[in-house]
Amino acid sequence: MSAMTSALRRRRHFDVTPYLLVAPAVALILLIYVYPIVRVVIDSFLSPTAERGTTVGLANYTFVLNDPVFWKSAQNNAFLLIGVPIMTILALVIAVILFDQIRGWRIYRTLVFTPYILAVPVIGVTFVYLYSYNGIVNEMLRAVGAGGLAKDWLGNPTLVMPSILSVIVYRELGFGVMLFLARMASIREELYEAAMIDGAGWWARLRYITVPQLRTVITFFVVIELITMLSWVFAYVYSMTGGGPAFASSVLELYIWKYAFAYRAIGIASAVAVLLLVATSVFIVVQLLVRGDESDTGEE
Amino acid sequence: MRRTLARLGGLAVASSLILGACGGAATPTPASSTAPGASAPAPSAAATEPVTLSFWYWAESDAPGADKWMAETVAEYKKVQPNVTVEVVSQPTDTLMSAFQTAAASKSGPDIASQWATGPVLSFVWSDSVAPISDLVSTDEMKHWLNTNENVYAGKTWAMPMYLLGIGLAYNTELFAKAGVTPPAGDRWTYDEFLAASAKLKAAGITPFVGGDKNGYLGAWWFANIGGQQLDSVQELAKAVVGEVPFTDPKYTGWYSILDDYVKAGYVNDDVMSLDLDQGVRLFQQGKGAMALTTDGMLATAINDLGGDKVGVMRPPKWGTGTLADAGNATQSISHFVTSWSAHPQEAAAFLQFMHTPDRLTAWYKATGVIPADDRFDASLVTVPQLQAMSKFETTGPQVWLENWIPPQIDGEADIPAGQMIFSGSGTPADAADLWERVAGTWRSAHPDELANWQKLAQ
Amino acid sequence: MSATVDARTGRGRRGPARRFFSPSALFKQALMLAIAIAAIYPVYYMLETSLKTRQGWTADQFGLPIPPTLENYVALLQDGRIPAWFMNSVLVTSASVAAATVVATLAAFAIARLQFRGRTFLLRLLIALMVIPPAVLILPLFLGMQPLGLTNTYQGVILIYTGMLIPFSVYMLSSFFRTLPAELFEAARIDGASTLRILRSIVVPLSGPGFVTLIVVNAMWVWNELLIALVFLQDDHKRTLMAGLTTLKGRYAVNEPAVMAGMFLGVLPILLLFLFGQRFFVRGLVAGAVK
Repeated sequence: MSAMTSALRRRRHFDVTPYLLVAPAVALILLIYVYPIVRVVIDSFLSPTAERGTTVGLANYTFVLNDPVFWKSAQNNAFLLIGVPIMTILALVIAVILFDQIRGWRIYRTLVFTPYILAVPVIGVTFVYLYSYNGIVNEMLRAVGAGGLAKDWLGNPTLVMPSILSVIVYRELGFGVMLFLARMASIREELYEAAMIDGAGWWARLRYITVPQLRTVITFFVVIELITMLSWVFAYVYSMTGGGPAFASSVLELYIWKYAFAYRAIGIASAVAVLLLVATSVFIVVQLLVRGDESDTGEE
Repeated sequence: MRRTLARLGGLAVASSLILGACGGAATPTPASSTAPGASAPAPSAAATEPVTLSFWYWAESDAPGADKWMAETVAEYKKVQPNVTVEVVSQPTDTLMSAFQTAAASKSGPDIASQWATGPVLSFVWSDSVAPISDLVSTDEMKHWLNTNENVYAGKTWAMPMYLLGIGLAYNTELFAKAGVTPPAGDRWTYDEFLAASAKLKAAGITPFVGGDKNGYLGAWWFANIGGQQLDSVQELAKAVVGEVPFTDPKYTGWYSILDDYVKAGYVNDDVMSLDLDQGVRLFQQGKGAMALTTDGMLATAINDLGGDKVGVMRPPKWGTGTLADAGNATQSISHFVTSWSAHPQEAAAFLQFMHTPDRLTAWYKATGVIPADDRFDASLVTVPQLQAMSKFETTGPQVWLENWIPPQIDGEADIPAGQMIFSGSGTPADAADLWERVAGTWRSAHPDELANWQKLAQ
Repeated sequence: MSATVDARTGRGRRGPARRFFSPSALFKQALMLAIAIAAIYPVYYMLETSLKTRQGWTADQFGLPIPPTLENYVALLQDGRIPAWFMNSVLVTSASVAAATVVATLAAFAIARLQFRGRTFLLRLLIALMVIPPAVLILPLFLGMQPLGLTNTYQGVILIYTGMLIPFSVYMLSSFFRTLPAELFEAARIDGASTLRILRSIVVPLSGPGFVTLIVVNAMWVWNELLIALVFLQDDHKRTLMAGLTTLKGRYAVNEPAVMAGMFLGVLPILLLFLFGQRFFVRGLVAGAVK
């Protein structure tokens, strides 16, 4: 392109280039996000099944909000949220220990991170065997004389969600550890040296230097995991219990999937999808608050 | 780097398009088949151009050995009809219905499909996904098939049975002897006798009944075999389905109390909720429990594992006073049918009939130990006494598998979870009954068109 | 950097050098040992079980397989489904990640380096979309794609995955592009280079690490995804590895060693990649948070 043409282009107020560049991305967004969201909202007001396209007002929402299984599913997702502080603290503790570079810390780090790269269905099915009433966990409990603690971890309706949570924590922990370790590596030495000169002990160093320095990454991890507990646990539940026993481990994703594809109840599934969307919009707000300010500045 | 990326991207997109074109749904060859007629097409009358039939097949879980038999059948058929290739795709149990629902929604997919009889098959009949088999096969041929009544609607038979499965109460004679329990003189025990035997077994330190309800089918088996015994007919069940009578009526769900009592008395294995159906039966096959509900195939495996002298079988205990209490429980379980969108319905029907030729029937029995649903089957092939007994149960008198006679949604959302409630102790019998009623109400309001069809069934 | 920082790993030591046998060090060792064993035990159990015969497992669930057998692996590989599923996953993952990377690069460059109306809005929109659960989208996507014959096709799934990768990819790449030195762009513009040229000769070559991390993260996400794969690729021979693995337990209900063998085969490729390329995984996955 000649210098003159490009100079002319620069002088034009309206440069079409950026729009061309973002066009494919925007097209995909419209297709994969915008259209479905609009459609799901509309469909939630239609007749429950696909056959008739008549509007039924709020009937689907009424059904859903009166369905104990829906509430149980929502409750289960909410329960999983409790796992996030647990997993964060555990990951922090492990990261701190590893960061002190005890002997073999690299090996420990790899081992702790390994579950995170394994596929969820694989972990799920393996844990089904491990948590089976006569599986290894219980056998070990019985072997040490704690047989009374041996329960049917996935078959007992009260224990099934904590058990599933334990598997989720098991896997997500590695991610947290890695994240924290990586961030810790860039904490400036001088902070610690100064603190030690001042006589700060291990706990004080942790509390006043390490954790504050990790604040951004801890927030990042917490937000990601909170979102996961609402929107990304389908694979765990599907591979471990299918929602059973008797809906005790149902989660919202499973509920939607069942009503959409097993029972072909379009209206109902759409209504639940809308409700899930509303619930996650809380996180949209959080996300925007945390990251949105970056979008305002063009340059660093 | 960008060039590499672009090339990679282009390659990926191109290969996906190509693969997509190849791996698309069932071959949409232009309709060259003859118009469907009521007369049976002789095998040699098929078109000479190559035809590929896609068959979504399910049977292995019920009848281990079925997949192998099917592979042989396809090979044999190629000798008879060289231009017809049958592609068999084994369906996993958990997605059997949903996968076909997807196909039915887009009216594309296999030429032949498999669905469980009555409820599931009819739901697809009503969504115009099934070509009635009685339109494609002669009445002469069909009259040899057993239990065809399970798929009759609006004067047509819609699907073909392949085998008959019944559920028997298998028992371990050695464990019985140890506890001083004598098997019934006749076909079955009364429920009281069953309870008494269970008590004796437990007292002797033996687990009376073993099973697995993690995936919920054990509870459904109890419903089908014991739960429906207060009813007089399937029409009576249909009345509750359509809402003329509530499911909370003790006739329909009162039996959950006896299951609850049975579980609470400790007569069932501890890990019942940890094990799937098959794993539960395996406990019986390992001699770890005195009784189990088993299919013919499971019984055959038990005889294999424990030895023929240690295994006996009786009909499930009689508890109720309705007419259905005396009926047998054999069902064809799975039914095979030609899809309404198949481009080759005649060829498909011809293959289905081939599966019922005497040679294939014999091979079926030899491969699976499950009796074929055809009166041309040579019953003398059944030599094992326990299996002979099962055969007799399955072919004598009226046969009703109650689970078939409820819509799949009610089966999945009420029947199965209700059983789990009781086995896991997470719900009372009243909760179970309420669940049935609530789910039935949901189903009715969500599927008014299907409701109309069930109302016809209920008459 | 202070002298106590390990030049290679960038890690430091807190406080005076510890003796290995001090009580706190021993305690930490014990704790980490316990945690590490717990972390790796399921993998060990999977492997150990897969090497048993069906009867061997029934007889002894927990002990070592003696003698170990490869019959389950042989059977599963002969069966051919796992390799087929694996290839499906490879296809779907590589196609969608490649497409998303290309599309995102274009858009991210525009957002990071060019001024245009709607830029902030678009970025904010993308940030918001990152959070949307796929479960909300599957039904309407399915209903929309069905009449177009895109359900149960590779193209349909690739399209969906590509679309879902866009928000995160654009966000990540635009953050990354912003860190590139502005002078380079100024120089190029003064020379009259077209946008495409800038992309090709400046942005892409300098963004190697950014692309690597993005590709790793995206590939892992698509590879591990289950819900969409289950819904949109229902034919057994088209299934992705994840979707296929979930059917193994039902199919081999009473052959636990076979199930475990299948599971292990399913994770083996990733496990190997991880063991040899740990650095990439770690860098990729933590890149989003650590600047």
